[in-house]
Amino acid sequence: MVAQLLDVVSTAAILYAVAAGLLLVFGVMKIINFAHGALLTVGSYAAVVAGQYGLNPWLALPVAAAVGALLGIVIEYFVVRPLYARPLDAILATWGLGIVIGQLLTISFGRGVHFSEPPLRGVVDILAVDYSRYRLALIGVAVVIGVGISALLSRTRLGLDTRAVIMNEDLARGIGINSGRVRFITFAVGSSLAAAAGMLITPLSSVDPNMGTPWLVNAFMLVLVSGSSLVSLAIACVVLGGAQVLVSSYVSPILGGLTIAVLAAIILRVRPQGFAHA
Amino acid sequence: MPISRFLVGTSLAITLACGGAAFAQNITIGVPVGLSGANSVVAPSVVQAAELAVDEINAAGGLLGKKLALEVADDGSGAAGAQKAFDALIFQKKVNVLISMETSAARNAGLPIVTRGKTPFIYTSFYEGRSCNKYMYINAWVPDQQVAPMVDFFMDKKDSKTFFLIGSDYAFGRGMLSFTKNYVEKRGGKVLGDEYNPMDATDWTAIISKIRATNPDALLMSTAGGAPNVTLTKQLRAAGIKAHFGNLGLDEGTAKSMGADAEGTYLAGSYYTSVETPANTKFLGAMKTKFGEKLLTPNDLSTPQYEAVHLYALAVKKAGTTDAEPVLAALKDVSFEGPRGLIQMNKERHAPLTMYLGQVKPDGTVNIMSTFKDVDPGSQCPKLD
Repeated sequence: MVAQLLDVVSTAAILYAVAAGLLLVFGVMKIINFAHGALLTVGSYAAVVAGQYGLNPWLALPVAAAVGALLGIVIEYFVVRPLYARPLDAILATWGLGIVIGQLLTISFGRGVHFSEPPLRGVVDILAVDYSRYRLALIGVAVVIGVGISALLSRTRLGLDTRAVIMNEDLARGIGINSGRVRFITFAVGSSLAAAAGMLITPLSSVDPNMGTPWLVNAFMLVLVSGSSLVSLAIACVVLGGAQVLVSSYVSPILGGLTIAVLAAIILRVRPQGFAHA
Repeated sequence: MPISRFLVGTSLAITLACGGAAFAQNITIGVPVGLSGANSVVAPSVVQAAELAVDEINAAGGLLGKKLALEVADDGSGAAGAQKAFDALIFQKKVNVLISMETSAARNAGLPIVTRGKTPFIYTSFYEGRSCNKYMYINAWVPDQQVAPMVDFFMDKKDSKTFFLIGSDYAFGRGMLSFTKNYVEKRGGKVLGDEYNPMDATDWTAIISKIRATNPDALLMSTAGGAPNVTLTKQLRAAGIKAHFGNLGLDEGTAKSMGADAEGTYLAGSYYTSVETPANTKFLGAMKTKFGEKLLTPNDLSTPQYEAVHLYALAVKKAGTTDAEPVLAALKDVSFEGPRGLIQMNKERHAPLTMYLGQVKPDGTVNIMSTFKDVDPGSQCPKLD
């Protein structure tokens, strides 16, 4: 029971870390960045490379975040900004970009599967159950991400501008907010978060050029169900992630993989705003 | 102008014919293998083994006066990729034979193409057994040769009464574990559960929570070769599971890449680098000389590949041709002394093999605990010759 609860919470934490960047970009720019999965993969490879150079695994996190931010800046300037007036084309462009990044990774690292070492090994005794230290640490990381972004949004000038752009971009520009700058920074932060999330999930599994795609699908579903609110994203991750864990445990892991997509579709049918306020 | 077009056409045709003739100077072995996907951890070692065998045969004068060549294709470790790879190798590259290690999903998808292309196929991967095709020979182990030593060891030496079975959800995982379940129950043990994850899945959380809940004495794992072994073992260790780890689908190369997590896992197979025979010493020396620093650990999925290439060469020499029917007839009669001992595929297309039970040491090599000589594969393809 305790173990299962911890499974639910840690899975929700991982999903939150993966989806937060996508949510930010969606909220501000009203486009789904389909290169998010590829950026996740880039972060994973950053962890692999850090391991190959013998760096402390935790150092891979700032490295991945930095690489993600850099890529985000380049992508926003060259791909997304020119398509500002054509959001559907921008979405398509990010999908193509995702494919390009995947192929570049294949050229650099080969098609094979890579692995990286977990920064934290071993188990810790929690409420009479031995649970993975690393998974517990991820819960902490997800909380930090959530609190960090919320603090940025509610306590900084940039955050205020961002919230204004999220509410109504034209009006925000009307009162003098540089929405272009907000978009630029948001995209960089979103990409950085994607890469960081990629680095965080790597020690639990394996890295290959296409590993980002299943995560992209799940993150996409979670963002659709959350609207623009970080709080509703957290709720969605707990509910849908929890459902995934429970279905995998009690029915089968194969159906578990479908749970998030199916549940998201049902929720949106029943309540189009998803978990967000009206 | 018609005349010059005729000239261009003819010269083009002549050039193509010459090019075609140049190809006929080689005997080509097609190697469809999982360069991407689950098998990508082992596939490069399989290609290395094939390359050494081809070098050795070419150095000794080639085959029927021609040079042996390899044509490698990526089957993505799965059915969709296998269809493309087999199709390309048989119908475009027109290889003379296919010799390869693949997942059961890839093999099952490729077999109809092999039949249509009438190409001999030597399957070099251990698998769940009972796959039969007029054009296929197998020189690797089946559960009838591998499961008993592991289960007997756990029940007799480690006092294990309860088992939990984990596998990848495809022919190999399901086939191996159904055989294993029957054997455990026949011996009086209890199977507390058997769970499967899709081949490319990396999240074993749900299955691990089931293991925690049922608390078995021993785990028996049968996932696809390569990546699933690594992710499963990593996550089992991270979760602090205390049962004995018995891995039915783990080769030494993958164990090495797992680092500290593999230590203590029990394995059974037909080859480990620590096997002490003159043939193995010679083989390891030759591999080291050819590949040097780039050598990947020879393992139970790559040495059968080496032996299969040699067996094919011997069969072609015996048949005097590369035509399918005579070669297929000759393949059951030829034998080759390789790193795994004397290999002959004369038991209903399968081969009796010497099996070893071992445990992974801290440095990733395998400590061999017992040896079982010439274990019979049982009745695998009674309807074939």
